[in-house]
Amino acid sequence: MATIGNNNINAKLVLLGDMGAGKSSLVLRFVKGQFLEFQESTIGAAFFSQTLALNDATVKFEIWDTAGQERYHSLAPMYYRGAAAAIIVYDITSKDSFEKAKKWVLELQKQGNPSMVTALAGNKADLEDKRKVTLEEARAYADENGLFFMETSAKTAVNVNDIFYEIARRLPRAQPAQNPAGMVLSNTPAEQSKASACCS
Amino acid sequence: MQETDLHDLSDDPDYTALQHQDSMSNSSSKSVRMCDSSKSEIVYSKENVAVHPSQYASERISGRLCIIKQGSSFFLTWIPYKAMPNLVDSTGRKSNSNVSDNDRNLYTIRPVPLSDIHSIRRHIPALGWQYIIIVLSSGLAFAPLYFYNGGVREFLATLKQHVFVVRSADDPNVFLLNDFQDPLQKSLSSLELPRVLSVANGTPKQGSPNEVSSIYDSMRIDGITASGTSSAFEYRGRHRRKTHDPTHDLSIHVMEKFSLVTKFAREATTQLFGEFHEIHELLHDRKQKDSSPLDAVVVSQPNDTQSKADNIVATSDSTELDKLSLVWGKPRQPPLNHEEWETFLDSEGRVMNSKALIKRIFYGGLEHELRKEVWKFLLGYYEYESTYAEREYLESVMKLDYETIKSQWKSISEVQAKRFTKFRERKSLIDKDVVRTDRSVPYFEGDDNPNVIVLRDILLTYSFYNFDLGYCQGMSDLLSPILFVMRDEYEAFWSFVALMERLGPNFNRDQSGMHSQLFALSKLVELLDHSLHNYFRQADCLNYFFCFRWILIQFKREFEYEKTMHLWEVLWTHHLSEHFHLYICIAILKSHKKKIMEEQMDFDTLLKFINGLSNQIDLDSVIRDAEALCVCAGGNGAACIPPGTPPSCPVDLDAGLYDQQDDEIL
Ligand SMILES: Nc1nc2c(ncn2[C@@H]2O[C@H](COP(=O)(O)OP(=O)(O)O)[C@@H](O)[C@H]2O)c(=O)[nH]1
Ligand SMILES: [Mg+2]
Repeated sequence: MATIGNNNINAKLVLLGDMGAGKSSLVLRFVKGQFLEFQESTIGAAFFSQTLALNDATVKFEIWDTAGQERYHSLAPMYYRGAAAAIIVYDITSKDSFEKAKKWVLELQKQGNPSMVTALAGNKADLEDKRKVTLEEARAYADENGLFFMETSAKTAVNVNDIFYEIARRLPRAQPAQNPAGMVLSNTPAEQSKASACCS
Repeated sequence: MQETDLHDLSDDPDYTALQHQDSMSNSSSKSVRMCDSSKSEIVYSKENVAVHPSQYASERISGRLCIIKQGSSFFLTWIPYKAMPNLVDSTGRKSNSNVSDNDRNLYTIRPVPLSDIHSIRRHIPALGWQYIIIVLSSGLAFAPLYFYNGGVREFLATLKQHVFVVRSADDPNVFLLNDFQDPLQKSLSSLELPRVLSVANGTPKQGSPNEVSSIYDSMRIDGITASGTSSAFEYRGRHRRKTHDPTHDLSIHVMEKFSLVTKFAREATTQLFGEFHEIHELLHDRKQKDSSPLDAVVVSQPNDTQSKADNIVATSDSTELDKLSLVWGKPRQPPLNHEEWETFLDSEGRVMNSKALIKRIFYGGLEHELRKEVWKFLLGYYEYESTYAEREYLESVMKLDYETIKSQWKSISEVQAKRFTKFRERKSLIDKDVVRTDRSVPYFEGDDNPNVIVLRDILLTYSFYNFDLGYCQGMSDLLSPILFVMRDEYEAFWSFVALMERLGPNFNRDQSGMHSQLFALSKLVELLDHSLHNYFRQADCLNYFFCFRWILIQFKREFEYEKTMHLWEVLWTHHLSEHFHLYICIAILKSHKKKIMEEQMDFDTLLKFINGLSNQIDLDSVIRDAEALCVCAGGNGAACIPPGTPPSCPVDLDAGLYDQQDDEIL
């Protein structure tokens, strides 16, 4: 859950998606600015944190990176439980990974925290010549399901910071200062449907 | 994604059968009205349901399984029979005296609300006893309960009358309780973690514990023979009395033994037992005053390859002598080298004293050059009694066998592969992983490294050799050092096969292999470090999932490559315990206990912290600490580990070893 103190927000974010889609690479790019051609597979789960400064708030992401193989699926709820945000990642060069992303979306809709901010990331956007999932297809799907969507590349860094910023912007905020005691969380993230799909 | 057939159990003959049995009041599920508590009712009870703490028949514990109704809540409980010397149990064996009250208490299932049970897995082998494994919502599982007189179906039928039961679509032998979710979703939520219930000493969340214990009391008053030890009851009752907690007493006892060792191994003292400093001082003082039986004497072990006995310690109590002579604090030995290895072999190549060899490896590991040969013994690929000639012959057979299995997928043409989704998927899983396995190790470095292809080929061949298990993330980590050591495809393959005989269940789809190890780990921590256990309990961390990676791939990601190989050969000796890896876990946890507790780490923080320990752990001291823990836990430690817990062989060898669900498709 996003917890709020002044304008500091702590937000648990979980990455889900097929193995090899680039979840760990996205986190590594975001947190350390690195990309490893041979990023080792994730066993169990990994944890990272990174803070973003926005105009109105500072958001500290506590990021859970999970193992992608279906065999470990039963462990996933442990990580997305209580998450304020999720990035569901697929690989634009793999139809199959897109199908798996849809399953994750479904699962979060059913199981996840209802106010969770969910993003869909079509990763490996640098591999245009191997593309199997079109931008239009993915965007249409994202719109239908109220997700915001970007194509990203952990390799070239395109849209990586952007997707995290966008999530940060959409996280529920404390009401403005006139109501300091109230701490009312807005349950419907503003402008949810108008995904600013600023894809490369 | 697997769908679950909510309610629809009609395709399962067992289940249909049991529905019929419901309607008849069957003999084994009688309703017993309790005299002093009109609201408490035993709605099911079954005699001769047993726990097998080890493979030894003499250590089996029989008892009674009950479902108790209390108001609108139901509780499940299993209570071991009291030890009755010379009593012949219904299976015809003489009731044994090898089981201590401690063991009984350890395995006793104190009333658990049925609402806390996540699932029940049944095993109905064609031969042998039926048993069930109960998994709690917390992710913990109880030791298997064997139904000596059959009746698993009736048990499930009774359950179904009282709670919502759905058969898992993932596995027809798994029955999910309290699963009200959308059927599409259900299989995904199998681990609602980390909600915690302490298996051994937990207080039921619903209903007052006192009420439930009153049922217990009334059961006793009624003179029903099934009963736990009285301490178990007092323990559960309104006035929890610390002094009656046998596990607590035991850990003190264990530490006493330790502190004895410590004073002779001061230099090597780690923080492990710092908290028992006082006891240590106490003993020390006493020693100076008089020659108490606690006096330690220096002994040497004649057949110990290490002849230096100066730092070997034992008490004058002869039963402790052997244990303590494996001195904790003793520096690790240099690795076994070629010359010394030769002394273990007779002229034809047989290992003359495999016990001594194992012990030697446990204390020092192997020089790298020896690994290729000696690992094969440790893994069971070679037999210790085999001769050079026999091994040579074996190799030639194995080489051919490997080629045969490999050709099974090698011969799949492209056209064929197009119609063979399963094969394509498996291959793609493996392809994705081999390219990111240990690429910084020179052996696997660089573009188009042929060793990466070999890694791929072996894993793919293995997934044909063991089609049911298939490929699972983590396997490439286990294979990599093996290939690095063997440097030959077929030898690496068969060594990997041998390792997977032990570790295959780590990759079970239902996570049962991991569950049983994590369960055993929680029991061991409870036994060996009560305050850490209590901390994990109150921090909702009792599921021990933060140790998942350690156990799944045998600490492969926690140490540098060379150290990993060293640790593996130590673990594979199975010296002291087959489950020495669990003691390694505890040793690591204990060495960071202070930090964990002082910083009040919650589950997330703990997992982050544990993952961050990678490459920060001093292997030698961890092995020494683990050894000390293992020695002192002794039989009580072994009893914490349910039979069939990997790397032990599965209990139920009749059934398929691995379930056969497709899992590459979400
Ligand atoms: N070309 C390209 N490769 C990527 C990108 N992101 C990840 N990869 C590669 O894809 C493989 C799997 O990435 P990883 O982050 O481990 O995936 P995960 O299993 O989802 O965590 C690695 O070899 C990465 O180098 C990307 O944006 N572009
Ligand atoms: Mg990953």
